[in-house]
Amino acid sequence: MANTNLPRRIIKETQRLLSDPAPGISASPSEDNMRYFNVMILGPTQSPYEGGVFKLELFLPEEYPMAAPKVRFLTKIYHPNIDKLGRICLDILKDKWSPALQIRTVLLSIQALLSAPNPDDPLSDNIAKHWKANEAEAVETAKEWTRLYASGT
Amino acid sequence: MGKEELTEAVRSVLGHGFSDMDIIRALHMANNDVTGAINIILDTPKFSSGEKTSSQKVREQPKSEVYGASSMVESSNLSRETSDDMQLDRRNDTFQACSIKNDETKELDDRSIKNESVSRFTGESLGSINSNWWFVGSSDITALSTCKGRKLKVGEIVSFSFPFKNSPPSHKTSGKLFGRGRPNTACSEIVRFSTKYSGEIGRIPTEWARSLLPLVKAGKVQIEGSCKSAPDTLSIMDTITLSVSVYINSSMFRKRHQASPKSFRSLPEDSTVHPLPVLFRLLGLTPFKKAEFMPEDFYSRKRSLDLKDSSGVCVPLLPPEKIRKLSSDSNRVENEQEENISDSDVDKLVGTSDSSELEEMDPPHTLQCELRPYQKQALHWMVQLEKGRCLDEAGTALHPCWDAYHLADPRDLVVYINAFSGDATTEFPSALQMSRGGILADAMGLGKTIMTIALLLSHSDKGGSGSGPVSQHSSYTGEVSSIIDHSPDMSEDPIISSGFSKLVKLGKISHVSGGNLIVCPMTLLGQWKAEIEAHVEPGSLSLYVHYGQSRPKDAKVLTQYDVVLTTYGVLASEFQAENAEDNGGLYSVRWFRVVLDEAHTIKSTKSQTSMAAAALTADRRWCLTGTPIQNNLEDIYSLLRFLRVEPWSNWGLWHKLIQKPFEEGDERGLKIVQTILRPIMLRRTKSSTDKEGRPMLVLPPADVEVIYCELTEAEKDFYEALFKRSKVKFDQFVEQGRVLHNYASILELLLRLRQCCDHPFLVMSRGDTQEYSDLNKLAKRFLKVGQDALIGENDVAPSRAYIQEVVEDLRKGEKGECPICLEVFEDSVLTPCAHRLCRECLLASWRNANSGICPVCRKILSRQDLITVPSESRFQIDVDKNWVESSKVSVLLQQLEILRSLGSKSIVISQWTAFLDLLQIPLSRKNIKFVRLDGTLNQQQREKVIRNFTEDTGVLVMLLSLKAGGVGINLTAASAAFLLDPWWNPAVEEQAVMRVHRIGQTKRVAIKRFIVKGTVEERMEAVQARKQRMISGALTDQEVRTARIEELKMLFT
Repeated sequence: MANTNLPRRIIKETQRLLSDPAPGISASPSEDNMRYFNVMILGPTQSPYEGGVFKLELFLPEEYPMAAPKVRFLTKIYHPNIDKLGRICLDILKDKWSPALQIRTVLLSIQALLSAPNPDDPLSDNIAKHWKANEAEAVETAKEWTRLYASGT
Repeated sequence: MGKEELTEAVRSVLGHGFSDMDIIRALHMANNDVTGAINIILDTPKFSSGEKTSSQKVREQPKSEVYGASSMVESSNLSRETSDDMQLDRRNDTFQACSIKNDETKELDDRSIKNESVSRFTGESLGSINSNWWFVGSSDITALSTCKGRKLKVGEIVSFSFPFKNSPPSHKTSGKLFGRGRPNTACSEIVRFSTKYSGEIGRIPTEWARSLLPLVKAGKVQIEGSCKSAPDTLSIMDTITLSVSVYINSSMFRKRHQASPKSFRSLPEDSTVHPLPVLFRLLGLTPFKKAEFMPEDFYSRKRSLDLKDSSGVCVPLLPPEKIRKLSSDSNRVENEQEENISDSDVDKLVGTSDSSELEEMDPPHTLQCELRPYQKQALHWMVQLEKGRCLDEAGTALHPCWDAYHLADPRDLVVYINAFSGDATTEFPSALQMSRGGILADAMGLGKTIMTIALLLSHSDKGGSGSGPVSQHSSYTGEVSSIIDHSPDMSEDPIISSGFSKLVKLGKISHVSGGNLIVCPMTLLGQWKAEIEAHVEPGSLSLYVHYGQSRPKDAKVLTQYDVVLTTYGVLASEFQAENAEDNGGLYSVRWFRVVLDEAHTIKSTKSQTSMAAAALTADRRWCLTGTPIQNNLEDIYSLLRFLRVEPWSNWGLWHKLIQKPFEEGDERGLKIVQTILRPIMLRRTKSSTDKEGRPMLVLPPADVEVIYCELTEAEKDFYEALFKRSKVKFDQFVEQGRVLHNYASILELLLRLRQCCDHPFLVMSRGDTQEYSDLNKLAKRFLKVGQDALIGENDVAPSRAYIQEVVEDLRKGEKGECPICLEVFEDSVLTPCAHRLCRECLLASWRNANSGICPVCRKILSRQDLITVPSESRFQIDVDKNWVESSKVSVLLQQLEILRSLGSKSIVISQWTAFLDLLQIPLSRKNIKFVRLDGTLNQQQREKVIRNFTEDTGVLVMLLSLKAGGVGINLTAASAAFLLDPWWNPAVEEQAVMRVHRIGQTKRVAIKRFIVKGTVEERMEAVQARKQRMISGALTDQEVRTARIEELKMLFT
């Protein structure tokens, strides 16, 4: 389909993602749509998500790189900035998008978001409240969810 | 009704008790109304003076003359015994004086401040002993009585009162009385006189009043008078004869060297009518030596100015036999804005000299080359002109603008009055003070430089030791300031300001005597230096190039050398520097001789360069130019101002007598110019002939050929597409009636079309990167921006180290990739935050065309902040890799191959350096060795390139940018010139081509112009031809606008 018309930038990014992947991140385009990527992010160490393997989907819209890629967690995750549908609250995916950002930088940002949840700018109100009221308990829940839903298999 | 009938009608009522004169006077007062006249006579007691009066007058005349003369003697005896103080006392004892100062010069300054009514009159003669006041002469004035019943005895002293601004009208009664039939003379112009005992008696004629008023007001002139004859009892409008004596203050006479050809732009047109000459005339003074130029000669528009007849009178700077009739049969001028006048038009305009009769002069042995006969003629001509017109008489000949008068003062003073400016002086205005020099306007390629060098060698004493009177012709200090401030409030009274204002500012600056100063465009510095070094015997002329940042300011350095070379840029910057004279440099030197090369550089009168040139102090002045008129007749004015060709360096005069008539289509304006120029300008063309009628310069012939190229199919498609797109835009402008508002956009459209004719790649060329093509400049500016940016609140300025790194990368030619397209940069720009991106990528990332954020750091940017990164290629595509020949390039290459087989050199000229970039590709590939000369080269580089081209037989082609090739450079090593693209103005093309076809050329020259058929290039030719027909002066603004639109439409057909 659109693959024949793929911009050089996307091809270049894809090649680099495959040949030189970022640590803890893998992204590979779908075979039938080169704009659709299957992504896996390892839960960062010393975070509640350590040990988890999180699946995401990433789609490059027609306007990319002038518009941000669309990214969503497929794996269920307990995080104040990620809602139950897997949508991510991250400024660079919205108004702070810049064409100088790439798939790799986006995914690294998401990985960093896992290390540093930000309950002050929540997407999921309940989780954020929980995080603020009793962080230790919330972290425990997150660990629990990681075990339950992101344990690899 | 005739006068007699009117008189009869009045008489029929009044009878014969009134004389004819009375009745006529009454009629006059009543505006020829009979009833009114009768009423005036009946209402006015003692209106009739009776026939007796007039006969009495006649009888008394001889007596009063004797009396007047003796009183003069008496009064001067009297004043000889009186001190200044007493005089002051006496003068204070006046009829209605409010304030009188003994020191009249001070009053000049004071008068503007004090608005009081100053009335000056002298009860007795000032006498001749007062060294400040000079007796000019006496005369009789026929004055009119404004009183009735008062008595005025013969011989009685009268005092005069002058109305000054804001003075209350002191004689209301008179206004009432004469309110009806009298012509309304402005009250401010009425000068009244009175006696001690009777008060106001009458008024003097307007003509006298007008000339006296400004002079008396300024404290320059005093008048005293006595009654010579008057009726026994005065009635209104009676005739009174006064005997007056006029004295002039010595402050009126300014020192000659303060004289300055001043711009009179701020003065009204009438500024050429001055009170002093009028007063002299009224006093019956006749110049014992008359000015050869008189303003009247030019003012009477009715009188046909047959300059062929009067030329001997007008500008006899050369013996009459050398003044020939004009060769021009047509005086048409192509007076286009932004357009130069072509060579042949200049010839028509100013005429060419028939130099065959000029004498020749051998150059001194120190000139190490042979001069051609016509060059020897020029040398003779120049040397003669520098000597002044007639060597023997120059010192004693009166400057042609000045009248010489003997004053009646017993001290036997001679006063000179400038017929044009009204300036007066007691110093002899010698003809030497006129310009010494002229315009050497030989056509390009005749060797003006070498002729000038010969002149430098022939006559080059340093320090102006040429002839005595020159030395008093010194500082023109006043001029510097007067050129700078045109402010009309320099003096409230413009009529006399020309004479007086300069007195106020007397800067005394001593100039150091220097040698020769040659001012030329930067591009010619090297050439001058080289030519002087090549042609002058070593040691005979010391040379110094005054150029660059580190040039010394010390005048002493400049005066050490025989020849100082500098540029117009240096000249202007030293002129602009404050207190130029104090700071040393070019303006602290009085040059023996100043030569302006390519003198048309100073053509814009108001430009700094032009003013800077005119402000130089020099004894001899020369203009070298092949195009004395480039755009406009006004160009000549600047040259004349620099040369001090009097009286024409007076803007008011120039404008009134030449510029305006010329613009109005009056041929006389042009004829005056021709008459002025003929003696001071030498212009020969290559076709001028020598004594034997042979051409004075035999150059090998030049064959001009137009090569018409056909576009290939692919090119045609591209061109047509571009043309259609452009035409759509143009038609939109036409529809909206906004063609002229979008002139720049339209020219841009045309530019792309024209470039397309050269090579389609040009259409895709980048914006002009010239400005930052120098990396050092870029780094400098960039680091500066980085520092400035520290101020902003959100702005995190890139660190200095980072910027340095970026610039260093650029310098190393680091490829790098654009963070947006991830490709190697194409047409990259730098943001002020030092991020580098492709221009297109960056702009595409913005929602708004003119501003957006930096994709890398989110700093807000605007488009004009972006810095084009210099790169080796200014094309958006890799032209080397994708190279294809355009049809024009193919034809050129064929031609060059032929020339290569002959071993001939050629120059290839284009107006676009980008095209020269492209041409380098096939030339390199075909191993045709070339050099390149364009505007980016500095002086040394240029010289090197030219030398390389001239000396290296392997170098076959010079790529020359049209603009860089316009001036001075000598490329006679080439025998062919290719003009790749037509320029709007053929004169510019001609200039560039003349670099090849000039003196020193030994081979037959081929000039080939390239035109692509069926394109805008072909239509440009048509527009050029059309322009030749259009005389801009003859069209109204509206017509010019229409014509311009028509022209553009022609291009888009």
